[in-house]
Amino acid sequence: MAGNTTPSSRSGQLRQRSRLAGWLFVSPAVLLFLIFVLGPFVAAMALSLFSYDLLTPPKFVGFKNFGQLPKDSLLLRSLGNTFLFAFASVVTHLVGGMLLALAVNRGINKVLSYFVRTALFFPFLISWAAVSLLWKYVLDPTFGIFAFYVGKLGITPPLWFTEPRWALPAIIGIDWWHTIGYTFLIMLAGLQTVPSEMIEAARVDGANRVQTFFNVTVPLMTPTLFFASVITFIGAFQIFDPIQIITGGGPNDSTITAVMYLYQTGFQAFQIGYASTIALVIFAVIMLVTLLQFWGSRKWVHNA
Amino acid sequence: MRRRTLLAGLGSAMLIPPSAMALAGCSDDSGSSGFTAGGDGKPGANSSGGSKVTGEVNFLFYGDAAGVKDYQKLFTKFAAFAPGITVKVTGIAAKTWADFANQVSTRLAGGQTIDVIQIATEGQAIFASKNLLEPLDPYIQKDQDYVDEYYKDNPPKFKDWMQQHASPDGKTYFIPGSYNTMALYVSGKVFQKAGVEIPTEWTWDEFLQIGKTIKEKTGAYFHAAGAGQFTDVMPWLTNNGASILNEDWTEPTLNTPQAIEALTFAKSLVDLGLSPKPGGTYDAPTLMAQGKLATFGGGRWPTPPLRKLNAIEGVQMVPWPKKATEGSPIGWDAWPILKSSKNKDAAWELIKYFMTPDYGKLFAVNGGAVPGRISVANSDSFTSDAPANMPLLVKLADIATPVPGIARGAEAQTAVEQAWLQGISGTTDPAKALGNAQTKLQGLMGS
Repeated sequence: MAGNTTPSSRSGQLRQRSRLAGWLFVSPAVLLFLIFVLGPFVAAMALSLFSYDLLTPPKFVGFKNFGQLPKDSLLLRSLGNTFLFAFASVVTHLVGGMLLALAVNRGINKVLSYFVRTALFFPFLISWAAVSLLWKYVLDPTFGIFAFYVGKLGITPPLWFTEPRWALPAIIGIDWWHTIGYTFLIMLAGLQTVPSEMIEAARVDGANRVQTFFNVTVPLMTPTLFFASVITFIGAFQIFDPIQIITGGGPNDSTITAVMYLYQTGFQAFQIGYASTIALVIFAVIMLVTLLQFWGSRKWVHNA
Repeated sequence: MRRRTLLAGLGSAMLIPPSAMALAGCSDDSGSSGFTAGGDGKPGANSSGGSKVTGEVNFLFYGDAAGVKDYQKLFTKFAAFAPGITVKVTGIAAKTWADFANQVSTRLAGGQTIDVIQIATEGQAIFASKNLLEPLDPYIQKDQDYVDEYYKDNPPKFKDWMQQHASPDGKTYFIPGSYNTMALYVSGKVFQKAGVEIPTEWTWDEFLQIGKTIKEKTGAYFHAAGAGQFTDVMPWLTNNGASILNEDWTEPTLNTPQAIEALTFAKSLVDLGLSPKPGGTYDAPTLMAQGKLATFGGGRWPTPPLRKLNAIEGVQMVPWPKKATEGSPIGWDAWPILKSSKNKDAAWELIKYFMTPDYGKLFAVNGGAVPGRISVANSDSFTSDAPANMPLLVKLADIATPVPGIARGAEAQTAVEQAWLQGISGTTDPAKALGNAQTKLQGLMGS
């Protein structure tokens, strides 16, 4: 009769409803993933097999675009610059973020602590366009305030954005100023998970500050360090905005990065097929490095 | 082209979108907006309107949100000219005109409906060659007298340049609009302080000599040296009989002795301390207003910022210093109708409105380029509240060299500007810098 259900079918219905509820809750995220991540990824894979300039119909060329990759010296240059930038970014962010977190975590006055945290994080909230223009003015070799103050010390600053050996370090510095607040917060959160009893115990055992830091704090913070290094690398490898606005990839291609080159290939040279191929290369590199990081983490990350 | 707020240090805008437009009302009960006779009985392009064409026109221009507001004021009054047509205005705030053309291409590929675009020299050839544009010949034929009158009031070489550089098949795809040439804005106050008279023309040697005097006597920088393709590279090259490309835009010519000589001279201004070191950003009109800068290059576009600084008084337009020959780059915007336009008749009415003297006069007051009509450019609308000798920008059109507009224009421009910047900063030897750029351009042009 209608309405009669056995206990097992009732629990089956409950399980079904529970599954449906689960899917409904994740559906916005899944939809976003499908539209903005998986969809474009599949499209890039398809487009990489075509020669397409956006304005005329695409032409199937098979793997010709992939064959072009090793011969493309500018692509190799851009990848080299990107690795250099990413490595420098990871190291300076981890070291800088940790030092700042240590400084703020040292039991300073609460009000001062909040102020410092806000001040350090604030640049992260500013758009890259504003940051880039700001630093172009600050680092102007004639009228910039940096040149003005170091000039008072008798120092002539370099032409930051015109000399190839200084342009990328300048971008690394600007990126550090802009994003260190984020890494700092991650490190601070990680520091605050280190049990104070462990620090006390080390001190009681006679360890000095440096020994305590390296033998107790750092090992306990390895999961945080690992997370920060993965996130920083992924973000750094995709750097684009400050280079597009400040140097345009110059001088002499010294600051051209992989994503910048992808943009130029796709939206200036209108080689959408080849640009899609480059996009797949960037994806592959990031995936490979991240996998290596995860594999390496088994050796040095101490999970609780 | 870069945004109008980015000046000498970055490479200035070639053409600036017009601002603060308003429209004169016009009416006509013919099927198209027609024209009325001028005072001499000859056809005078438009002050009548009242077109019976209806529909919506999507107009895309190079500019930002402020420009959209200005155009919207313009098109509020356009309703009297063509009451049945509504205009939807969109601005693209691109980095350069070449980038703007690229962004338009991307939007077209994405299926955006666009009827009329403001396209500058850098994008005209590529758009025409990609079969994106509607030939305007039938429309021109329909309103032949109207268009002829407009052409007669344009710089004489405009029509030829459009045919040579923006028409792959002999058909007409664009109606030319406003333009810019390059001259020097010269601060009378700084010159007076140094006890130097402003010349009406000068050679490179005279320029250098005067620069040294001004620097010595006032401490002010003499010239804002930058690396903008239109604002710095082309003026120095064209005043020494050189250019970025050959006349028919088939070969780069960056590594000629004349070009190297031009870059070497520009570099000497930095070496001698007569120009601020390049590579950062500063605002040239502000420095001039403060008495810290004696000259900077520009077309019409620095005039609105100088007005805002109340710094027009004492400023004068002087030709660029010459070496082998007089020269100037020229770039112009033009209006095509897109092939994909769903209302080409309405689009043509909008273009006809752009050709009117009324539009030209309104543009002349606040726009950042020289109005296409010579009569308007020589009128009070253009010359009042502006540096003295502003009509020089019109005269320079007679000797000007069109700024290149090749297919991979954005990349070519980057290569040229980077090479020039390397040269003037002393980071790379000028001959080597231009040689590298020449090789890059050859690669981009497939030559």
